[in-house]
Amino acid sequence: MKTQYTIAIAGNPNSGKTTLFNNITGSHQHVGNYPGVTVDKKEGRCEHKDTALKFVDLPGTYSLTAYSIDEVVTRNFILNDKPDLIIDVIDTSNLERNLYLYTQLIELEVPVMLAFNMADVAKARGLKLDMKLLSSLLGAPIIETVGNKNKGTQALLDAALKFIKSTEKSSPPDILLGRYIEESIAVIICRLKKHTAITNERKLRWTAIKLLEDDKEIVEKIDNQSIYEFVQAQQKSIEFMLGDSAEMLIADHRYGFISGAYHETVRATIETRHTNSDRIDEIVLHRVWGVPIFLGLMYLLFWLTFTVGTPPMEWLDALFSWIGNSISHTWSPDFMPAMRDLVINGVIKGVGGVLVFVPNIILLFLAIAMLEDSGYMARTAFIMDNLMHKIGLHGKSFIPLLTGFGCTVPAIMATRTLESRRDRLTTMFILPLISCGARLPIYTLIIAAFFPPVWRAPILWGIYLSGILLAILLAKLLRKSLLKGDSVPFVMELPPYRRPTLKGLFLHTWEKAWLYIKKAGTVILGVSIILWALTTYPKTEVDHTLPVEQQRAIQLSNTFAGRVGRAMEPAIKPLGFDWKIGTAMIGAFAAKEVFVAQLGIVYSVGESDENSIPLREKLAKAYSPLVAICIMVFMLIATPCMATIAATRHESGSWGWALFQLGGLTALAYVITLIIYQVGSLFVT
Amino acid sequence: MSNNSHTLSASLENYLEVIYLLIKENRVARSKDIARKLQINSSSVTGGLQSLRSRGLINYEPYEFITMTDEGREIAANVVHRHNTLKEFFMDVLSINEEEAEENACRMEHGISKNIVNRLMDFAHYFKTCPNAGVQWEESIGYSCNNSVKRGRCCIKCMVEENAGKRSGNRSNGFAAGGHTSTLDKLNPGESGIIESISGKSAIKRRIRDMGVTNGSSVEVIRVAPMGNPIEVKVKDYHLSLRKDEAADIVVHTQDATEKR
Repeated sequence: MKTQYTIAIAGNPNSGKTTLFNNITGSHQHVGNYPGVTVDKKEGRCEHKDTALKFVDLPGTYSLTAYSIDEVVTRNFILNDKPDLIIDVIDTSNLERNLYLYTQLIELEVPVMLAFNMADVAKARGLKLDMKLLSSLLGAPIIETVGNKNKGTQALLDAALKFIKSTEKSSPPDILLGRYIEESIAVIICRLKKHTAITNERKLRWTAIKLLEDDKEIVEKIDNQSIYEFVQAQQKSIEFMLGDSAEMLIADHRYGFISGAYHETVRATIETRHTNSDRIDEIVLHRVWGVPIFLGLMYLLFWLTFTVGTPPMEWLDALFSWIGNSISHTWSPDFMPAMRDLVINGVIKGVGGVLVFVPNIILLFLAIAMLEDSGYMARTAFIMDNLMHKIGLHGKSFIPLLTGFGCTVPAIMATRTLESRRDRLTTMFILPLISCGARLPIYTLIIAAFFPPVWRAPILWGIYLSGILLAILLAKLLRKSLLKGDSVPFVMELPPYRRPTLKGLFLHTWEKAWLYIKKAGTVILGVSIILWALTTYPKTEVDHTLPVEQQRAIQLSNTFAGRVGRAMEPAIKPLGFDWKIGTAMIGAFAAKEVFVAQLGIVYSVGESDENSIPLREKLAKAYSPLVAICIMVFMLIATPCMATIAATRHESGSWGWALFQLGGLTALAYVITLIIYQVGSLFVT
Repeated sequence: MSNNSHTLSASLENYLEVIYLLIKENRVARSKDIARKLQINSSSVTGGLQSLRSRGLINYEPYEFITMTDEGREIAANVVHRHNTLKEFFMDVLSINEEEAEENACRMEHGISKNIVNRLMDFAHYFKTCPNAGVQWEESIGYSCNNSVKRGRCCIKCMVEENAGKRSGNRSNGFAAGGHTSTLDKLNPGESGIIESISGKSAIKRRIRDMGVTNGSSVEVIRVAPMGNPIEVKVKDYHLSLRKDEAADIVVHTQDATEKR
């Protein structure tokens, strides 16, 4: 009795597309990936009048050229999956630019209808629209909606269903591109008919237009030298005759069509020079106050994440140790002892150690979602771009880098806002150099053990700063070598400020947190088990009369990790490290702060944390301050933790890049530490 | 005369032409030289010369120099004129190389009417003295002039623009109205203008265009970022930010030039 229809939601960024999608599908949605690229594919379901509807929230785009992955993904989805209907969401208060996408959508031969969202904002700005006339000029039904107040959703669904089921298809207008370009299109179509298998008239016209627009994807798809040369000759003749490139002229004609429809149907009743949004910008983008306000907000973001986030994190920590303890009490040590150890020390410690950060992650992403949904995020890029551009990155890289001080994993996930793949890969690569929260325990332990109080703050500051400087250098290096290429244009919309909706904030935050939790349950679980095995096997018989701590130290030194640590000794000796540090570093791959615990075990002081006095004393006796510096430098640069590698692999879509990050940073750490230790040894004896 | 010229075959016209040129060059023409010029053997030259003599166009007796009658001289001069006009037109107007021009002029000179020859001559003359000279022919573009206001515009268009420029006393830009042409990055906050053209790399151009920054739309600079680089502009009633070097590719025409101090 039910047929399922697929409806795609398209629209400009900031048009309120996602809000509308959330209104329609509620919580019945899931996030996937488009094949081969890391663009979120959001799908949701809803039932309307006994008909099952599947909704796909396409990425927000301004156009359907092959400019960004988002645009390619949107276009290919429409061309290949042929949805039954596209709802183009239009920001009514910014009609002209928003309708540009519509002029391209109707070229794709898929039924399109329009949702004029934020109709209330347009009304408040004094815009009066003749919807009936506009609808007939554009050749599509128009429904007015107010996404953040959930108005018009039902009417939209009614109209969508009616539109899909009606036999009479609407006929969107052909936008004529001027006599001269139309002639070119006609002759290109002749060639296409001769040399390709395309027969559909609309598809032919679309392909011809895309060829004239120099669309890389289509040129590659057609892959016919004679057509290519022919098109080039046409482009040159158009440019010669009309004085501008074909693609610019085609855009002019599209905008011309929109402008015509706009001026015929829209009347401005009040003259608004300054909206509330403009007034906010006058303050937050002020030449003098802009930067301090920005820094203050960033501080607030940190405070929220780490101060407010600490108590729940401690609760979770307590919860996991309680679970561990209860298991160890109820599970008799005689019954499957290896399994018992795996569950307690491998699974619960490993996964729990990562999951305790969930509150911080939730808070951080909540804060980021607020910045993003309100419109301030674009302003941070606007403020920071001058600085970021100097190191070859985009203003939008700033937020991920800042997030990196908290935890590298969400920071890598936050690089999604970057449009250019080169920018994303560079930012991901250098992110581990920004000292994350988990490295603080290492620094605190080492600095407190080796240096007098006066020196402590400057050394900590120096370590953080070296990381930042190194990140800058590395970014520059990468952009000049491996990831060479023009930097992406900064051209970016500064959307009007909007009040974020609770639903939107919740869904945004949940998506990211869920990704993180999923990772903890899969990759991190696997690596935790491996690391557990490495630090547990093979078992050695130890004298039970010895103190427990010492027993464990002997145990550990005989395990694979201990042996690897010993085997590594010749390699890390030039850095001033012995096998004990080597063993601890293997543990640090699970999570950086494990380094402290592992070091504690090798020095047999029982459960250690950074404040344990005995460990500090033992360390101070065993190593020189130079080695201490070397440990910190090495831990700063080398081997990002496994969660970072997993995140890089997931976000870059390539194991190659993740392993290169692992290997490259470790090699860099080795070289730098080697230089520091060897040169340092000449002065300190 | 006209009777003869109508019936004269292409090969006879060629004889006349060669004789005319030889006499001009050497004062006399010999059948041996004619044969060499026309690349035929001397025995067939005799037949042609006899035919010309029978029409009263040349004076010719075997073993004597050849001279031309007045009528013959006039026809020959016409042929040479047509030849030269065609060759000149091919070379100067169509940018054909000399060898090809010569060869084609030889073939076309016989069948073309005087009226068209005169028109071609006039056109070549106009072409060479046109204020926007420097027309070139390029593979696949066709003809274009490199001397005009905007490369790539057709001649008439650039003449119209140049005239308009002269009228407004501002030769350097094509806009007829008074005002000031500048690039977007040079505008101060609060200033606005109409976008005249966008140059630069195609990726940036495409992006800017997709976002509604098209020729003819108006743009206003709102502010410069606190750290001095990206600028914020208002276009099509929304706010857009772009770096100064990107803005430098956008040529704008500001109306309030008189207000600028």
